Amino acid sequence: MSSEPESLDAQMTAELENGDLDDEGVDLSMVIDLQRCTGCAACNMGCASENNLQEGMAYSSRIIKTEGQFPNVSYEYTPTLCNQCEDAPCAEGCPTKALYKGKGNITMHDHEKCIGCKACMVNCPYDEIYLNKEDPHPTWEVEEAAIENGTATPKQVKERAGVDEENAPAYYNPNREVSDSEHPTRYKGVVEKCNFCVHRLEENELPRCVEECPCEARIFGDLNDPDSKVNEILGQYNEDVLKEDEGTQPKVKYVRDYNGGSYEAGVGEPGLSD
Amino acid sequence: MSQRDTTPSDDGGKLGFSFGRRDFMKAGAVGAVAAGLGSSLTSLRSVAQADDYRDALVDHTGTYKPSTCAGCTSWCSAQILVDDRTRRVIRTRGHEDSEIHGTHDCPRQDLGIQQLYDPDRVTQPMRRTNPEKGKGVDPEFEPISWEEAIGMLADEIMELRENDETEKFMVTRGRYTYLRPILYSYLPQIIGSPNNISHSAICAEAEKFGPMFTEGEWAYRQYDVQNTRYVIAWGADPISSNRQVSHYSNEFGDLLDRATVAVVEPRLSSTASKSDEWLPVEPGKDGALASAMAHVILRDGLWSREFVGEFEDGENRFVPDERVDPATFEESENSQGVVEWWNEELYDKDPEWAAEEVGVDAEQIERIATGFGEAGPQAISWLGGGPCMQVRGSYTAMAIHALNGLVGSVGNRGGTMYAPSTGVEDLPAPDPYIDEVAEHGLNNEKIDQRGRLEFPALKDGESGGGVVTNNAADGILDEDPNEIKVLLSYWNNFAFSNPESKRWEDALAKIPFHATIETHASETAWFADLILPATHHQFERWGQLRSTAARRRTINLHTPVMADDPDDPRDVLENGRLWDCKTDETEIPYLLAEALADRGFDNMLEFFDNEYPDPESGRTLREEFPGDDFESRELRAQAFSRNAIKLRTRPIWDPAYRENEFDWLGGEEFDDWVEFRERGIWHTDEWEFRHRWPSEGGEFATDSGRFEFDGETLGNALRRHADRHDVDVDTVLEVCNYQGRVADPDTPDAFVPHYEEPYDLGDGGEFPMKFVDHKDRLGREGRSANVWWSLEYKDVNPGDVPYTDVAKINPRDARQRGIEDGDEIVISSPAGEIETTARLWEGIRPGTVAKTWGQGHWAYGQRASEEMGEEAKGGHNNLVIGAEYDRLSGSSVFYGDVQVDIERR
Repeated sequence: MSSEPESLDAQMTAELENGDLDDEGVDLSMVIDLQRCTGCAACNMGCASENNLQEGMAYSSRIIKTEGQFPNVSYEYTPTLCNQCEDAPCAEGCPTKALYKGKGNITMHDHEKCIGCKACMVNCPYDEIYLNKEDPHPTWEVEEAAIENGTATPKQVKERAGVDEENAPAYYNPNREVSDSEHPTRYKGVVEKCNFCVHRLEENELPRCVEECPCEARIFGDLNDPDSKVNEILGQYNEDVLKEDEGTQPKVKYVRDYNGGSYEAGVGEPGLSD
Repeated sequence: MSQRDTTPSDDGGKLGFSFGRRDFMKAGAVGAVAAGLGSSLTSLRSVAQADDYRDALVDHTGTYKPSTCAGCTSWCSAQILVDDRTRRVIRTRGHEDSEIHGTHDCPRQDLGIQQLYDPDRVTQPMRRTNPEKGKGVDPEFEPISWEEAIGMLADEIMELRENDETEKFMVTRGRYTYLRPILYSYLPQIIGSPNNISHSAICAEAEKFGPMFTEGEWAYRQYDVQNTRYVIAWGADPISSNRQVSHYSNEFGDLLDRATVAVVEPRLSSTASKSDEWLPVEPGKDGALASAMAHVILRDGLWSREFVGEFEDGENRFVPDERVDPATFEESENSQGVVEWWNEELYDKDPEWAAEEVGVDAEQIERIATGFGEAGPQAISWLGGGPCMQVRGSYTAMAIHALNGLVGSVGNRGGTMYAPSTGVEDLPAPDPYIDEVAEHGLNNEKIDQRGRLEFPALKDGESGGGVVTNNAADGILDEDPNEIKVLLSYWNNFAFSNPESKRWEDALAKIPFHATIETHASETAWFADLILPATHHQFERWGQLRSTAARRRTINLHTPVMADDPDDPRDVLENGRLWDCKTDETEIPYLLAEALADRGFDNMLEFFDNEYPDPESGRTLREEFPGDDFESRELRAQAFSRNAIKLRTRPIWDPAYRENEFDWLGGEEFDDWVEFRERGIWHTDEWEFRHRWPSEGGEFATDSGRFEFDGETLGNALRRHADRHDVDVDTVLEVCNYQGRVADPDTPDAFVPHYEEPYDLGDGGEFPMKFVDHKDRLGREGRSANVWWSLEYKDVNPGDVPYTDVAKINPRDARQRGIEDGDEIVISSPAGEIETTARLWEGIRPGTVAKTWGQGHWAYGQRASEEMGEEAKGGHNNLVIGAEYDRLSGSSVFYGDVQVDIERR
């Protein structure tokens, strides 16, 4: 909140500004505070908007679990994204080295080397890699309107919005294509994945999902900076990762519980209050 | 000024290169081929081109412009990122300067972008050519110019005026801004009709009944979560829906650390899933729980001595099953009637009784009541719409809100608050421009029949003071009090959003001429003669809303963000909107006023021209843009829009006006208009805790001046309504389906907050389950069904499934009926039936069926419907919810009483 000394976003942005993404020792991590998360999907929509994603291509997504039996039911929402694994099976198994550990230790993808073989998709235990089976955003090329001469065709909307790019939505975000590591919109035959919004990091901006979260549930920064907010929160709470047994050593970590109340799922009566 | 021409692509490509993006794609892409050839000239060339392209994009970020989200009535102040080069809206976020939420907006705000660029928006006015009106009947819309469209509407109005039947004109309002008086109040007044009908009664009016008849405030509240130690949320889901979701979502993680949160709700809502306690009460029974909690608080001596009072000898006589002699209790000056409340209602409403009634453990009731009482006064009884929008919901609203009185959290730190004084000015009113014809028409009963014996609608304590939205359909159908011949509707979809919505389809089909102002061809538009496309409130118009939380209220501007200079009407008309659309509340009334003047009735035009000059320059509209051609009128209409917002917010930005002409009560001060509109948000001072307490020198707005546990103000209001109809209060209550009576020992007392059993809509034998309607977290007040983000992420509603319309059923109930997860089922009630998909989910109270509201569109757009204009996608809750009312407030019934049956299809 702007009235407080400095917002969390501002502090994390300052860390980006004071650091250098190209430094060897930068090891980026995201910590998701599940007690703050309210399962609202703002992160997912922000990501889709930032990265010009089409339907079904959700870098930022969720695992939802309902357990127990009425009235002792628990519902948990776990936000998910590419875990930027230290030991990344996708990069290990990529025949052309299109996937590789890049700056900030982000698992990066070079579309020019990608042959669309999908080995990475098989190898990733988290299903966080997406294949472009077709040139994306075909719905925006449609030239029919719901009501002729009354509503617009998707193509007309794009024209009116000044979007020349093919395979892009009318609310196309050009900033996505600015970086060295981006390809100008995507195309049939290559995969893609979350890359911690490296195009934003290069401008000292936080990943979109971090900025978008209304609950300030996403903490982002350099694990090798002892003063970073990620280390601060990891110092306060025990961390969890997804599918720890896979040995991928994810850089996306979770702290606290989605059900931050003292309710105990599936155990007799609802838990006693504090 | 037509926007129908597409953007010309004669600028050498947006980026000034000789090749376009497509060329680049062909040259550099097709990674498979490039990779197959290994590193080659092709790929090197593509990299070079890519570098040039990327360099050109580096500064392509744009500017944040202020506006406001109206996706729900949190009305968050926003900043819209507009691309410098193309004027494209790239992003929306909460306003960084907002003390209420900063940049932390809820996800609904982001859906606005998909709405803005939705191809199914109406791009220009359309006229129906098929005279037959009906569901699924193609209107055969054809494009028409604004000039022609406005002319058609003007002709219809003139005919009513010439025949002295102006009461047959009607305006219906949905989503608005605070420029609403122009279209919603002044326009019908000048024409001469009393029939301006708002949507408020299908929102949550019954929720206001509670605070009104306890502390005299017919309003929604804000809650001091930053300082509270206990929250009981009654059918309220603050991290999901209304109101100030952005603020409460941001605060919720911290709230769980500092407070205990309990949620009263038949289904496991978003808030319930994260809270300490969940009380899955039977629908319609919340009032019993409230009485039992009050019983515990008094029984155990947990009430606030300061706010409520104390027994003179200090001995607590609130003993279960025993009445109290009022003479033994010395009331605080802050409140009155607690002993009467105990004696008339609470004395025998113990947790064991309540547990039987509502289906929740007595131990949990005790625990929560005790925790709440002990935490007081930093304890919030948070009243949502769920417990009140029921046939007998008004009394439940009182009971729930009265708990705040018991613990002294009313207006207090960690408790319930309202809004501090706000520095906006009333828009100039049209009294001198209302002629005799209009006066004559105004002197008629309203079409929704408010104020009749069976519709007390006691807003602000006045008989017939509030709207009874859904009943207007019956007024139209029965021509009672009169026929409606001309309807102007704006930003509502009454044919969809009212319970038992088919009545509205029939009513709309009956009205001979209907012009609708909206963004999409909705179900309502399908019956219209004219569609007048509306500007999108988040991006394309002037307007003003307000947010209330964090002890403040903010005034939030809507601005036309795609224009470079929003004060320049030409710029706004050319660049500020995507299509040839116009602002409902300002531009359209202005153009109509011109057209009426053409036809000999110039009162409205004079009103606008005389009373709405630019307050800075003093220039009238006609001085700024002279000329009688239509383009000049359009420019004047846009200038009128700008002038109206400047007049409305004048105290905020005009120091001389603020000091000399306005009763300024505090808040931020701006020095000029541009400074204010560039920022787009203004803050009040902070709410002063307890300033309304009589013990602190204040006063509550009740008849007694105190917080009332005895319903004195309600009693007065009921008696006034009864007198108006020459009956007694008991007759009013009987006609209105309440159980309370004035002096019958076998019924609840009519005035104190009390429990009334649910009034079941449907025979419990034939319809054995209760229907639990709830709103969609991504709903944007029902307007998001056509945007795919709301479909792809539909599972933000716990238990729901992306892209699918489901009814959530407890597995126990499903098994009994042989229903499996994913089965197609039919839900039926006395009002109708729908088809949907079964979702077995444990977060549902057995005996209930929960279903997210908002599916079932058969028009509106191609994603929302199965087939536009013909086939519905999913089942529409309003087809099974019958048209009934909480008559004391006028609210439509959505919850608590709806009986249904379910079976496999």
